[in-house]
Amino acid sequence: MVTAAPAARRRTIATIALVGLVTLLALGSLGTGPVKLSPLTVLDALFSGGSDVQQIIVREIRLPRAILALAIGAILGLSGAALQGLLRNPLASPSLFGAPQSAAFGAVLMISLGWADVRSWALPVAGITMAFLSVFVLLGIAGRNAGLLLLILAGLAISSLAGAATALVMNLSPNPFAALEIAFWLLGSLEDRSFRHVTLALPFIVAGAILLMSQRSAFRALSLGEETAQSLGVNVSRLRLLVILGVALGVGGAVAVTGTIGFIGLIAPHLMRPIIGHDPARLLIPSALTGSALLLAADIAVRLIPSTTDIKVGVLTSIIGVPFFLYLIMRERRALGGGVA
Amino acid sequence: MFHGSVMPSYRAKCERLWPVVAATIALLAGTSLQARAADLPRIASINLCTDQLLVTLADPEQVLGLSPYARDPFRSWDKDKAKAFRLLSGEAEDVLALKPDVVVAGRFTKRATRELLKEKGLKVAEFDPARSLDDVRKQLRQMGALVKHPDRAEAEIAKLDTAIAQAHAAVQRKPLRVLAVSRRGWVSGGENLTTSLLSAVGLRNAGGELGLKAGGFASLEAIVTLKPDLLLVTDNTDFAEDEGRAFLLHPALEKFYPASKRLVLPERLTACGGPTIVEALDRLTTEISRVAP
Repeated sequence: MVTAAPAARRRTIATIALVGLVTLLALGSLGTGPVKLSPLTVLDALFSGGSDVQQIIVREIRLPRAILALAIGAILGLSGAALQGLLRNPLASPSLFGAPQSAAFGAVLMISLGWADVRSWALPVAGITMAFLSVFVLLGIAGRNAGLLLLILAGLAISSLAGAATALVMNLSPNPFAALEIAFWLLGSLEDRSFRHVTLALPFIVAGAILLMSQRSAFRALSLGEETAQSLGVNVSRLRLLVILGVALGVGGAVAVTGTIGFIGLIAPHLMRPIIGHDPARLLIPSALTGSALLLAADIAVRLIPSTTDIKVGVLTSIIGVPFFLYLIMRERRALGGGVA
Repeated sequence: MFHGSVMPSYRAKCERLWPVVAATIALLAGTSLQARAADLPRIASINLCTDQLLVTLADPEQVLGLSPYARDPFRSWDKDKAKAFRLLSGEAEDVLALKPDVVVAGRFTKRATRELLKEKGLKVAEFDPARSLDDVRKQLRQMGALVKHPDRAEAEIAKLDTAIAQAHAAVQRKPLRVLAVSRRGWVSGGENLTTSLLSAVGLRNAGGELGLKAGGFASLEAIVTLKPDLLLVTDNTDFAEDEGRAFLLHPALEKFYPASKRLVLPERLTACGGPTIVEALDRLTTEISRVAP
């Protein structure tokens, strides 16, 4: 207990600091945009002061964007932490498993065939179904105790398949703008989203988050090894199914309104592990907060970086995420090399 | 004296003979017209915009074929009119087989096809994309000359001028600032047909104030801050088939620009600088009286 107390304090401080950071970034997101508004004006407009134009800008354009960045960043971070906990594998993350790409395929199918309004429930439902299928198939192929290589290879195959299927429906689309629209959309963006999008995504994100959080103690048991977990009363196959469902709900709902935003789920738990420790249960909430902070920051950055057209936030997270992933591979080189040999 | 005595009688004779002569001339002209129908150039079009000019100005017998999109319900200027004619693939093969006197094409599309046709000795007439109403007049004359019916081109130009005058009269009472905005917030910059239409009828184009000289995407925030009186859009349905379209249906825009603040001008009417511009102007006139009564 002597060593546990400072660790607990460190965790509490880190969590409070993260909450503060996310709040600041959320306010920063409300204050950033092509039209310059002072922080006071923003706060004033948020609480129904200011001119009607200022009110509309803050409440109808920037607020839904900030809410989406916060919620989607959180669910991506949480999904990453949950998958890493489930598989006891630091490289696990939704984007490496092809979940966002598959969800994107589901949504693109709806867009390019012109079956549904992009602001209808059909999109998140198609996205969630595809995300669920992909993670389910992945874990089915790679097997229960799959090593890193197997998971990554299977994930790569599923992402490629989803990418090819997306390209195919793009080609077959009757909408003449489909190719451009979908290409833009696949890059992942929070631009010009409205409260209609928030209504579409948030219920699924919340449901996914609750599902993942409810399995918290099972992750802790699982970190002791599958047999130990089972002897502690954890039904591992049920846990797997619930985690897949939670990730699919969250990622599918998120992708349906923003397109694919990768690597947040991979990075967030890694940033938190040195501070919080390796307990997968304690890692969940800090990872979610870190995910929020990362996506909010990235979304502020794309609006600040000077460019003629907006840089897509998904591009930015990948540009940061891929080198990080490479660094992780380098660190895990020995384990991976052992697998090949 | 000789002349003096003869001329009057000659003139009188002519005057008496005149109806006969006129009838003969008319008869001759008629037969020569029939004879000439075969001599008139036969033309194939491989571009949607030249399709439109061709069908409007040429005799039906002169039209050998139209571009593949001529009957497309979303892109064609008049899919029903196009049904009377043969559709081409838009590639070189079937054009070569038809042996047209002239192939009409766009200046910037199907470059490889045009090169190939020229190499095979066909005459290819290229049309620039129209950027202004003057371009529209020029193109009507160009096609009129090509099909040997310049009179029809002049008639179309007269129609155009009437439509401009009418739209101008409808606007004049209220000089409104209009922002022409497309999917995703695209605002075209520089000289283009839509802005030329706006200025010709006396509407003020708010697009210039955004500083997008070469065209670009305007953000929602920029548009609501710019506060134009009206938006000019191509569509007024509530169905967002993609995010680009959803932009125009964003609650922030809908709040300031409900249907009653949006001029609707379908894209197929303004995509080509041809006879549809007359229809576009008429539509603009109706739209202006709808949104600003």
